[in-house]
Amino acid sequence: MMNYELEITPTGVTLCGKVLDIESQGAVMLKELYLRYVGDYPKFYKMDPLCRLGLVATELLLQAEGEERFAERFDRAVLLVGSSASVVSDEAFRQTIADPAACYPSPSVFVYTLPNIVAGEVAMRNHYHGETAYYVLPSKDWGRIRQLVDNVLTDPAIHSVLGGWIDYTDNETFEANLKIWKN
Amino acid sequence: MEELIQQLKEQIIDVLNLEDLTPEDIDTDAPLFGEGLELDSIDALELIVLLEKNYGIKLADASKGKEVFRSVRVMADFVSKNRTK
Repeated sequence: MMNYELEITPTGVTLCGKVLDIESQGAVMLKELYLRYVGDYPKFYKMDPLCRLGLVATELLLQAEGEERFAERFDRAVLLVGSSASVVSDEAFRQTIADPAACYPSPSVFVYTLPNIVAGEVAMRNHYHGETAYYVLPSKDWGRIRQLVDNVLTDPAIHSVLGGWIDYTDNETFEANLKIWKN
Repeated sequence: MEELIQQLKEQIIDVLNLEDLTPEDIDTDAPLFGEGLELDSIDALELIVLLEKNYGIKLADASKGKEVFRSVRVMADFVSKNRTK
């Protein structure tokens, strides 16, 4: 069986062992990936950096998988793990309320101050109705991630899990290392 | 009024992160919600914040947004009549 795996770092993308030809780096690279490989989902522009990373990462992986896209699916879960959670949006929101004389809390920033939103965004995009979750771990621990995945796969309704490690600390420090596990 | 319309379009693009659009892409008389820009309820809240932050206008009744945000032209007219800064 083919192993589908993707890695995105600020300096490059590796999809199923093949390095993709990308011109930009850092946060700008996510926009390049969106324009080059997605392009039809304007909601991308409204997303926070963690969700942008999650969207382009899952898009690349699912395109490589090659199964029918956007059909309602009840047999696939989305399980993501990271250590920085929603810290980028947390800080962005804090800045909107930092000055008592100009305190204008941003609703559109606030909605991303929960890291599990990234799992929900992926599920909504792909019409997945299985479990969605985002776990916070101190560091990337594939043994622990595999335990979490195996636990989800004990549900007889779930036949596959899209997930893995996704972490966004700042525009120069982020990583998505995702896989598709199948029963 | 045309200057205010242009300014509002630029501010809408900025606060709603409509990076793929330019002010010229926004039809001055088209509905902001329900079609065209495909804005949602969070965007409506963000526009209410925009009015308060940039023009000192507090929409005490959030449902009034439905009327104010009918189009950029209606929004500009409302701003010009109610702005405090």
